[in-house]
Amino acid sequence: MGRKIDDLFSGLGRVMNGFIICFLIIPLVVTSLMAFDARPYLGPLPPPALSTRWFSKFFSDDYFLRGLGVSLELALISVCLSVCIGVITAVALDRSNSRARELMTSLFVSPLIVPPVVTGFAILIFLSKLGVVNGFARLLCGHLIITIPYTIRATLNGVLGIDKSLTEAALTLGARERHAFWDITFPLARTGILCGGIFAFVVSLDDVAISIMLTDAKTYTLPVALVSSMRANFDLTLAAVSVLLMGLTLALIFVLEKTVGLNQVIGQGTFR
Amino acid sequence: MKRAPSIFFYLPAGVVFSVFFWLPLGGLLLESFRPFTPGRIGAVSDAPLTLANYEELLTPSFLEFFVQTLRISLFASLVGLVFSFTLAYWITRRMSPRGRAIAIGFFVSLMFLSVLVRTYALELTFGAAGPFRAILLSFGVYPNSRGYIEVLVAAGLLHYIVPLATLTLLTTIQNVDPRLFDAAQTLGAPGWRAHLSVTLPLCRDGLLAAFLFSFAFSISAFVIPMILGKGRVLFVSNLIYNRFSEIADFPSGAAISAVLFAVSITIVYLTTRYVNRREAG
Repeated sequence: MGRKIDDLFSGLGRVMNGFIICFLIIPLVVTSLMAFDARPYLGPLPPPALSTRWFSKFFSDDYFLRGLGVSLELALISVCLSVCIGVITAVALDRSNSRARELMTSLFVSPLIVPPVVTGFAILIFLSKLGVVNGFARLLCGHLIITIPYTIRATLNGVLGIDKSLTEAALTLGARERHAFWDITFPLARTGILCGGIFAFVVSLDDVAISIMLTDAKTYTLPVALVSSMRANFDLTLAAVSVLLMGLTLALIFVLEKTVGLNQVIGQGTFR
Repeated sequence: MKRAPSIFFYLPAGVVFSVFFWLPLGGLLLESFRPFTPGRIGAVSDAPLTLANYEELLTPSFLEFFVQTLRISLFASLVGLVFSFTLAYWITRRMSPRGRAIAIGFFVSLMFLSVLVRTYALELTFGAAGPFRAILLSFGVYPNSRGYIEVLVAAGLLHYIVPLATLTLLTTIQNVDPRLFDAAQTLGAPGWRAHLSVTLPLCRDGLLAAFLFSFAFSISAFVIPMILGKGRVLFVSNLIYNRFSEIADFPSGAAISAVLFAVSITIVYLTTRYVNRREAG
């Protein structure tokens, strides 16, 4: 009797696993197929002929290209600034005692627990009171707030793992503190810093909720452009963009696996 | 060997966070107590304080949005927890090390994939114009019915929750000694009984943490209900955006934000309490 119930449960478990994996994969496969659809309209699967028309449509669409340009510029500037700030802050946290470190870390990670729309709305009201109307400046403020938590945390993980006696030895042997940092701490924390940078890049490139609040008529990010065209008309150009973004994700995962190792990455996931 | 005081190194992040995060959040709270002047963007700065924006939230039409958000989020988080636990158990206990590495790579890649891309993919696949339209209709399910749209929004949340919760639960299940389960079986308990009285209780805190993560993510979701809800299912986040974009009612948007903020903080507080307890014990 017990065995039968066991078999039933393990069979049920298998069915559930198969179902959920299909659920996770099928939409991505369908999107990838449809992106190469040669028909000018949204038809049933499978596409009768393949073409790259939607990709060329994307690359000749000024509205999207402008968004892509802003997104890339914004992501690169946010990553540079937030990596610098992350490293400086991680050094500060590393030097503090564990109580102060815990308190300051939770303060600096707090933007991750505030709903992004709320953050965006707060920054919008605040900057409009200050009279800041430049779209790019506003977007940069918003993006820094959501990328810095990741760079601080990832860098701190790297810095905390370094044996303190290495730096002390360098200092005892007469190295200046600055040299000890650049010759010992920085190279050893490199993977942590890189990991934080990649997280920051992904977060900045993917954000909608904050950016949609802070854009102006001329300065908008690619995700904001995609969302508004998704609401206006359901065109397969978006499928082509999705395929490009999936490719980018795979490339980033490959870099992470080769440099940091994915097992390391999990420990730095969204909510930890 | 004098070291620069660490307070100096806190400055850059401290300044950025104070000016662009904590001050704005304070301003948001203040704005929520100001009266709304139609046609004016933002409240008059020395207007008298009022509770009117919060009172408005207690009317049934507003409460409905909160109830809807909580209901769909709760549903998605619970369903996600069941699926994630089954998946995580399978990955840790039944897979070869190589298979496990592939599975982890798959879920991490999914976590990194743009939420917007997944939402679009779900709409394209299961939406009203998708390839499953005929199948849905043959089962008597109308892709434009409200029930189906609600399920679709929950599916959108699940697409994010399942990878997140599975990765969270992997560590939880890894930390449970499999010999305890074997011992229970040796002592005569059938497998299901052994899981119910050994594996599940030992994973309780991990399950709770995974559930709260998922729930916190769901109630603050923005893009997923915006695209998949098609304006018929709105989450609180979408309501905040509409207050801003459609009628420029900043005070009301600020009041809704303050409430959403309070709910999220409560959930995170519960989470850290339980996660810390797990780490201490």
